[in-house]
Amino acid sequence: MSEVAIFTEGLSKSFGAQVAVSELSLRIQPGTVYGFLGRNGAGKTTTMRMLLGLVRPTKGRARVLGLDPTREAELLRILERVAFVPQRKQLYGWATPAELLRMNKAYFPRWSDDAAAQLAKRLEIPMKMAFKKLSIGNQSKVALLLALAQGAEVLILDEPTAGLDPVMVDEILRTLIEDHISQGRTIFVSSHHLGEVEQICDWVGILEQGRLLLESRLEEIRQEFRLVIASGEGLPAGPSGEVVSATTDGRFRRYVVSREAERFAGELRNQGATILEISPIGLRELFLHLVRKEDACTPGNAGAKPAPVSSFS
Amino acid sequence: MYAWKCWRETRASFIFLLMMSTAVALLITLAPGLTEQNGWWHFDRGEYLRNPWPTAQMVTIQVLSSLGAMGFLSALFFGATAPGSELESGTIEYLWTRPRTRTSVTWTHWGVCLSEMLIVALVPINLAAALLGGLTRSWQMPLLLLTPWIIFIVGVPMLGLTTLMTALRRSGKGGLLYTAGVVSVYVIVRQIVIVPLHLNPPTLFAGPLFWLWNNKPFVPLSAFPWGSLWRAVFLAVAFPLAAQYLLKRGEV
Repeated sequence: MSEVAIFTEGLSKSFGAQVAVSELSLRIQPGTVYGFLGRNGAGKTTTMRMLLGLVRPTKGRARVLGLDPTREAELLRILERVAFVPQRKQLYGWATPAELLRMNKAYFPRWSDDAAAQLAKRLEIPMKMAFKKLSIGNQSKVALLLALAQGAEVLILDEPTAGLDPVMVDEILRTLIEDHISQGRTIFVSSHHLGEVEQICDWVGILEQGRLLLESRLEEIRQEFRLVIASGEGLPAGPSGEVVSATTDGRFRRYVVSREAERFAGELRNQGATILEISPIGLRELFLHLVRKEDACTPGNAGAKPAPVSSFS
Repeated sequence: MYAWKCWRETRASFIFLLMMSTAVALLITLAPGLTEQNGWWHFDRGEYLRNPWPTAQMVTIQVLSSLGAMGFLSALFFGATAPGSELESGTIEYLWTRPRTRTSVTWTHWGVCLSEMLIVALVPINLAAALLGGLTRSWQMPLLLLTPWIIFIVGVPMLGLTTLMTALRRSGKGGLLYTAGVVSVYVIVRQIVIVPLHLNPPTLFAGPLFWLWNNKPFVPLSAFPWGSLWRAVFLAVAFPLAAQYLLKRGEV
């Protein structure tokens, strides 16, 4: 697996006048666990669907394991090597999980019966009940089971833990860490549960209205990103340089700074500002600062530019 | 495995149609011998022995009338499970992320349904023919043995049309209703045009069915509507090809 696991360049998709994904550029190396974050309708699912040939891009290009999903022959090779858990975990209602496993096994040469049996036991899936009679949580577990037993090199998971109880979420995350992440498999996961993302991901990308607002290593966010709260007149209003977000909260201005927070605070002080706080920022707080809609009188992130394509180490 | 999935989804309809068709075909075959005496039904084999050829002719026409409708129904029910129906049910994301081409998925479904339709047409009529042969002690019933093939030939374009409508409507129920609608509109418009204008245009693809229906003994084979047969063959392939084209370009 020497090629980039997932690569997109200027990838865009519009449905009529509605822009779902705009100029998205990603470069995800093999073995990366990439959290793809965004509000509902941000374009996460459309991006994943473009990677799997379910939706054709309007512009730009995508490659999965070096293969082009818009070409049928290459798409088939992608689908043999990539497992997908869709947002809507709908399978054949008449089929039991055992039947679904048998059916799925025939499609994938690297399918593991042992992994499937172990996982089914671990996730406590009732294997002989028709899919339509299972609870939503159990239906999600079946969809995950099918994907995880596939022996795929890349897992594309669209809100994989939606509808699961905390115990099962923990079980799934443990399975991902023990059986997949430890084996160097690439995981591209979207989730609204930022705690889960922090637990398993090493990279995150935050998408808003189809545009990538930020892409960073999670470790870098923990170590470098800071929230700077300042008050004063004539302070910078929008994101620029190291400032990834600038919002107004009454008399205060909040900046999320990606690096050199002390130097940035010094510059603000030189402009006559009072620095009230410089503090580390968690993923949840960062996410909210980036995507939260602001009052009309504040700049918010309306002018935020897409993050440049990061060069992965 | 997709073939197994198609079989599993159509299994109930297939068994129901096969049992119904068999029951109807056998009842029609036995009907000429049934007579009522003093409020009791008796079976009199004499009728079969006295007039073997007219009895076989009558059974053929009645089997054709009844099982022709079954052929139409089986085409509708099987066609409504075509891959396009999975767009509505939401299983299409699963199906289209398996490493199989959408072309192979379309034609696998078509092949499975075609086999089921052939069995639904062949088995009951051949059982009826065997029964009739035993009763008349005559195995000269070429038209009855031709009947399942005629039903099949006319049914296959209907299967294709339902497959196409299912892809167009992105729904099984929608495909079924639109196929029934298209056929009804075609029949009504045809009647509206034919009756006042005193026209007699050839049927689109149901010609072989009418040919067998109106068949009298010893009508030469040259009267067979070959044009209609070729149109049936053409449409049987063209409709699923159009469905395949739509599905290949379909997005979720």
